Amino acid sequence: MSPPRLSHSAALILKALSLGYCFGFDVMEVTGLPSGTVYPALRRLERDELVQSKWEPEQDASANQRPARRYYQLTREGKAAALAATERYPLLARLLPEKHS
Amino acid sequence: MSPRLPSPLPLFDHALLCVAQKIVPCTQREEWLDSWRAELWHIHHASPGRRPGILRLAVDLPLGLLLDALWLRTHSWRRTFSGTPTLCLASLQALCLLSFLIALASYGGWHTLGLHLSRQAEHCLLAAPFILFVSCATATSHRIERTSTKKTVYWINRQLFFAAKTSLVLLLAFLLSTDLSRPFYVPFPTGADLLQILFFVILALVSLRWSFFDQEQRCKQCLRYLATPARVGRPSHNLLEWNGTEQICKQGHGLLSIPEMESSWRQSSQWIDPPSGWNEPASI
Repeated sequence: MSPPRLSHSAALILKALSLGYCFGFDVMEVTGLPSGTVYPALRRLERDELVQSKWEPEQDASANQRPARRYYQLTREGKAAALAATERYPLLARLLPEKHS
Repeated sequence: MSPRLPSPLPLFDHALLCVAQKIVPCTQREEWLDSWRAELWHIHHASPGRRPGILRLAVDLPLGLLLDALWLRTHSWRRTFSGTPTLCLASLQALCLLSFLIALASYGGWHTLGLHLSRQAEHCLLAAPFILFVSCATATSHRIERTSTKKTVYWINRQLFFAAKTSLVLLLAFLLSTDLSRPFYVPFPTGADLLQILFFVILALVSLRWSFFDQEQRCKQCLRYLATPARVGRPSHNLLEWNGTEQICKQGHGLLSIPEMESSWRQSSQWIDPPSGWNEPASI
């Protein structure tokens, strides 16, 4: 099955997730997209099974004295779509820096 | 899961969450609140270099929060109403209203439009027998059905829906023909009347054909659109075995098998009810 055709913003978000930016604010910050684009786009990507979300373990968050976050990560189809999007829009790779943890 | 916040959110964010949560469907509300509470907390407690500006905090984030809630609501509506007879009738009514408003604007008032519509309705009624004859002659909607008291109720529902839908598409065809012929009334007043009848006949034939086709593509029980079409058999084996397409009702009410070609052993589409107890757990 061929990877789905993505909009520029969806491709940018997928690319950010593939680089290790894994929650809404992180993606918003690195892509520069407004929150009104990022959050609904994450929902659409999750509906299309390109992305899956999971809650951070409560213990990890409590240890750092902060609330647990909802993390997004690419599925197998999402990784293929991100790869296809990078080939289609080569500029994406230069727009977003690798995340330093 | 409900993350506890080490410190409370600012009053503005708290109020915004209280308002926006009403938009989110009940089943997803708690999770939505949790994820946004955590997200906002992290934004407010980001390191000074990463913290968004005042404008972004005051305008962009509330907008994102509201759009996220709206997306969930529209997605829930889409899942609930997609392919339902209610959506079909509501869409046709909306199109009729839109078409009527265009006609009203182009004719400049109730009185002029009323006179024109009543005159043209008589003309269009003359074309009705021709339209009915052609539509019924070309429609193929024979199915093999089993009869029972329960099925009779579904049959009545189907006929009522078909009658309502057909009435609406015919009304829409009439109103559209009025809209389309309007520009010709100034240069050719006499020819425009004939043109409207011609437009009406064409639109009515197309819309009736759609109405029959749409009826065939719906579940016999719940009247929702059938989904997941699957090819069965091979066209090259047409003389040896059945081949065509099967569509299933998402609610599990049955299966429609549509032959690729009409043959002596399968002349028309066939509705297959699921065997009784098919959706009950198997007893071992």
